[in-house]
Amino acid sequence: MISRPIRFVAVAAALGLLAAGCSSNSGGSTTTSAGTPTGTISVWARDAEKDFMGKLVEQYNSTHQVQAQLTIIPSANFVQKLGTAAAAGNGPDVTSLDLVFAPYFASTGVLEDISDVYNALPYKDQLVPGHVAQSTWDGKTYALPFTGDASVLFYNKDLFKKAGLDPNKPPTTWAEIRADAKKITAIGSGTYGFTFAGACGGCNVFEFTPYIWGSGGQVLSKDGKKAMLDSPQVTDALQFYRDMQTDGSIPSAAETDSGNQQVPLFTSGKVGMTALGAFAIPSFDSAKLNYAAAPLPGKDSGTASFAGGDVISVINGTKNRAGAVDFVKWATDTQAQTWLAKNGSAPIRKDLLDSVYATQGQSYAMVAKGLEMGQVPFSVVENAIFNDNNGPWVKMIHDSVFTGNIQAAQATAQSAAQKLIDQA
Amino acid sequence: MSTHTASLNQSRQVSGRRRSRTFGLNRRRQILGALFTLPTAAMITIFFLVPLGMTFWMSFYRWPLLGQHKWIGLENYSAALNDPNFIQALKFTLEYTVIITPILLVLGFGLAALVQRGDTPSRFFQSVYFMPVAIGLASASFLWLFMAQSQIGPLWDLMHWLGLIGSKSNLFAGHWSSLMVVNAMVAWKVVGLQMLLLLSGLQSIPVEVIEAARVDGASGWQRLWHITVPLLRPTLALVLVFSVAGSLLAFDQFYIMTSGGPSNSTISVVYSIYRYSFIQFKLGYGAALSVLLMVILAIVSAVQMLLLRNTDHN
Repeated sequence: MISRPIRFVAVAAALGLLAAGCSSNSGGSTTTSAGTPTGTISVWARDAEKDFMGKLVEQYNSTHQVQAQLTIIPSANFVQKLGTAAAAGNGPDVTSLDLVFAPYFASTGVLEDISDVYNALPYKDQLVPGHVAQSTWDGKTYALPFTGDASVLFYNKDLFKKAGLDPNKPPTTWAEIRADAKKITAIGSGTYGFTFAGACGGCNVFEFTPYIWGSGGQVLSKDGKKAMLDSPQVTDALQFYRDMQTDGSIPSAAETDSGNQQVPLFTSGKVGMTALGAFAIPSFDSAKLNYAAAPLPGKDSGTASFAGGDVISVINGTKNRAGAVDFVKWATDTQAQTWLAKNGSAPIRKDLLDSVYATQGQSYAMVAKGLEMGQVPFSVVENAIFNDNNGPWVKMIHDSVFTGNIQAAQATAQSAAQKLIDQA
Repeated sequence: MSTHTASLNQSRQVSGRRRSRTFGLNRRRQILGALFTLPTAAMITIFFLVPLGMTFWMSFYRWPLLGQHKWIGLENYSAALNDPNFIQALKFTLEYTVIITPILLVLGFGLAALVQRGDTPSRFFQSVYFMPVAIGLASASFLWLFMAQSQIGPLWDLMHWLGLIGSKSNLFAGHWSSLMVVNAMVAWKVVGLQMLLLLSGLQSIPVEVIEAARVDGASGWQRLWHITVPLLRPTLALVLVFSVAGSLLAFDQFYIMTSGGPSNSTISVVYSIYRYSFIQFKLGYGAALSVLLMVILAIVSAVQMLLLRNTDHN
């Protein structure tokens, strides 16, 4: 039998070690000499941004007294990591954050109210509306737009030519997409008209909601309190995909694609059309694909786009608010955003989208247009409803497209989504 | 029986008295022993007992990842029993366990029988069959996910060439076909361990017994059924407990290979606990489901142990 004091000491020591290991927070100083922020700040970003984030932080550090330390977190675990770290009180000072998660973290008090910073920005009115809406909770601003992307319809010009279609006339209605997809599939030898990621929630909120929005529909009410997955525009959009599936225009791989096959499928040159974002452009270019981009259409007219990317926030309880605010402000200014525009992310300012981003090529110009008018479903349970690969959103799309029982799939999804909202 | 117990108590008392006389030496040995067990005890406390206690405690709360938690008594448990997703996950996990367990047992036994001669070729094949055990489950899952992929995977190619599947078929698009791919992966991955355990069981059966049966004119099947299997029962039970417990806790293979699909039909219990806890951030509810799973596991294992003990008495 171990004597009690010994056991207590051992456990206490071990717990102490554990706690020390966990709290790697950098408590920077807030000393400001002559109003210039100093000290250190820790910055988190998800791994999808690792290519440009490191260089961006380097640029900041070489021109500022505040020194930022970057930690890259795997995208798949980002929400858990930030949530658990914040709950334990050892989160970073600044985090870049997929904009769909901003309402959740703002509503739970993880993010710092930076309305003062936002309102003082000279380019405040140039910030893209989708990102700004996601950064606002209860009339206050908890984040600034940081990186951008938007969904557009990419199409393979060579396949358009082969199918007897005009490669300079992309489809502008669902009926046209369906008809074009049919003709491209008819080329044979393993070509397909259209593909999407049938088992990926995040992909479909990016690619599929624009069809609904473009037709005047919604997937959630504006305040995020009511699920609208059973609305008629959703029915029509599901029927549109279902029709392409029964036409045989969609490859079998789409049914189980959790998001990693869509780009390779289109890059292979065997698929006529797919909805993606600017992130895929480098892959298409390095494969020397002859392609172009078009806006995602509504049913008979109209266009819409999902505004993707990140917002950047100061974490509530930071020990260096001045330093954190300085970094966040710098991240949205002309220098940083111009550099980002040329290094893998669309800028989140309309002025820069037009002047430095859209000029890089036809697809970039389309993404810029999409981002300027882009929307995002606003919800504190966005992850559970839409991004979760086993959530109600993707199950509804999957079951509708591959079994055809659209009414039942919509009803199930609607009640599951509403339950998630009510229980939040 | 009672006299035996009495004498045992007596001897205990005696040794107790003796111990108090040589207190110093024993005390030192006790402390030394305690020190040796201390690291393990600390590890078990920190990494098993404390989390277990916390899980139990949390299961009585409404406990979101961020924000206030609130005592709700047994509400999580009553919700779990009426949760169609959890019930579905439980059913699926049982389905998986019922299918994979006999596969592993029969295959493991067959392989053990094949390699039980101690010559060089059989030693070689022992190593070959055991090799996949050394691979991580996640790596193995990714490997098989690729192999079974439509159009590009070699396993898919082979099945297509054999005429088992059509040129447009997608193995992960159906519940049964995706479950079978996972089963094949798991069998390949863990059957080596089952083989090894059963092999040691087989080798511990005295050759004389089997020889005697042979001399008595028992056929091969008779020897297998009446000699080998009964003598192997303790090992079989061990293998059974291992594979059933492992199957009830399945997660990686489904998370990686099927992502719970098609249409959420391959979500195991642990997978659903993961989803409630880390996607919906209902930590209290996830904790309650974990406790329920632990209870189920304890019951299943206890039943198996009981069967094992009864066999020993026979």
